[in-house]
Amino acid sequence: MSAAALAQPHDSAAADVVPILSLHDIHKTFGSHQALRGVDLDIRPGECLGLIGDNAAGKSTLSKVIAGTYVPDEGAIKVDGRPAHYTNPLEARELNIEMVYQDLALCNHIDVVGNLFLGRELKRGPFLDQKRMLAEADRMLAALEIRIPRLTAKVENLSGGQRQAIAIARAASFQPRVLIMDEPTSALAVAEVEAVLELINRVKAKGVAVVLITHRMQDLFRVCDRIAVMYEGTKVAERMIEDTNLQELVDLVVGKGGH
Amino acid sequence: MATYTERQSGSWLADLVSEHAQVLSIALFFLLCLAFFSAMNPNFLTSGNLLNVVRQAAPILIVAVAMTLVIATSGIDLSVGSMVALINATVAIVIAAGVSWPIAIMLMLLMGALIGGVQGWFISYQGIPAFIVTLAGLSILRGAALFMTEGYSIPIRDAGGFFWLGRGEIVGLPVPALLAVLVAVLGFVVMRRTTYGRQVISVGSNMEAARRVGMPARRVLASVYVVAGIACAVAAILLAARLGSGSSNAAQGFELQVIAAVVLGGTALQGGKASMLGTVLGTMTIAVIGNGLILMHISPFFTQIVTGTIILVAIWMNTRLFDRRWRLGKRKTA
Repeated sequence: MSAAALAQPHDSAAADVVPILSLHDIHKTFGSHQALRGVDLDIRPGECLGLIGDNAAGKSTLSKVIAGTYVPDEGAIKVDGRPAHYTNPLEARELNIEMVYQDLALCNHIDVVGNLFLGRELKRGPFLDQKRMLAEADRMLAALEIRIPRLTAKVENLSGGQRQAIAIARAASFQPRVLIMDEPTSALAVAEVEAVLELINRVKAKGVAVVLITHRMQDLFRVCDRIAVMYEGTKVAERMIEDTNLQELVDLVVGKGGH
Repeated sequence: MATYTERQSGSWLADLVSEHAQVLSIALFFLLCLAFFSAMNPNFLTSGNLLNVVRQAAPILIVAVAMTLVIATSGIDLSVGSMVALINATVAIVIAAGVSWPIAIMLMLLMGALIGGVQGWFISYQGIPAFIVTLAGLSILRGAALFMTEGYSIPIRDAGGFFWLGRGEIVGLPVPALLAVLVAVLGFVVMRRTTYGRQVISVGSNMEAARRVGMPARRVLASVYVVAGIACAVAAILLAARLGSGSSNAAQGFELQVIAAVVLGGTALQGGKASMLGTVLGTMTIAVIGNGLILMHISPFFTQIVTGTIILVAIWMNTRLFDRRWRLGKRKTA
């Protein structure tokens, strides 16, 4: 792929670190639409990778491949340097890969606690341990400075920002090693955005690899270490954050970077 | 200068009432029905008649509990009446062929699970709408029952223990009713307190989300039809035990009564919501209306008209009133 050659990984000190997750030549086609046309990407521990690109550039598809929601048609995924073949989100979760989906993937008819523990309910014997889940949920939300008045309220009764906060709390609270966030701040209020950015910096410090997809360019410069730019299903550029600026990134996104 | 104040939280009672509005309204409707029929006929409130009502409601309640799970996944099972008829006929044939009744019961439960499993497989793994699959089931299963019996009723003889299931009593309460209560309690606990119940609701609420958080979404979706199949087998056995025979004409219009009971109880056809308590109240309401109309010497055919009307009105209330999140009392202004 010629597009892959265009990418210039500014490998500095980070190159010595074994990537937690390594994607090689990922292809994904939906019908006649080539969503991904050979993408290589390394994700390193303790690093935040910003994934940017125009709408339909393949950011979400790529992130869903990482999260196991989509299985790539071609290409290889390595986890800790070893080939990994996960074919569904459950297997990805077992590898500690967590994702905040753009559509949040919440169940509106279930209460806040239930959504936070969706798919890994705490149990006492054969029964759900509501008391312990409530206490844990309280702790999870407090750690992220998320304020939700009633944890037993159904999610359908909450605001868009509160729902987004729940989706983030769900992904961030179960010791992820790779945390993918697809537009996590689009519906958040000022204070909540700050909390999310702080959260990203905090989990980075713990060695978690974060992949952040966002349209808010100013956020990238506050948390990201490296930026990958997607264009029409390929990765066209990769920059260390200190080597780039807003204007260059914008040019790369709209396709003016190829000189 | 800005002063920061916390928003007052409303009374928890108002939250409780608005969350359970549907169960409260069906409970009210049920009490109204009771009051109406006891005013119209002095025999209605006698213990003999009430025991009769619960005995006859038992098969409906057992299948309605399972149907609550099905509808909570935003599915529907139209084949339950035909499945009851088929198993009802088969159990009579099997016992007539000399199989001992406990083994016959085991076989019937297995048969129900198997038929439900086939339907569930088409719905969940092949993506055919539940309406279509179970409509086909409605025709196929009734047809199979008619084919096997050639339309005749098959008597069951010399199976005392078997008859006890349909006619027996424990401390004055009919066995089928006790069994139905047991099933309802089981359904309530499963939906409220277990992972499986949570999975059923999740699949009905947002199947893709359920899959993404690692739930076996397809398997859960298929499983509710297996549960419905087993419930149909239990209902069919109770019917056969009460009447002492098996017939391909059993349980005519049964699916309508069951679906009416569930939607009347406030379980939403859109999925993601299940109210076991509502289903119990809905079933009892349907049973009381059927019984009350007969006591009033109104044509039994009229019950069908009433059942249909109830379905329509219940769904109408479901979509028009409750989806708007209406509240009792005025909203407090901040």
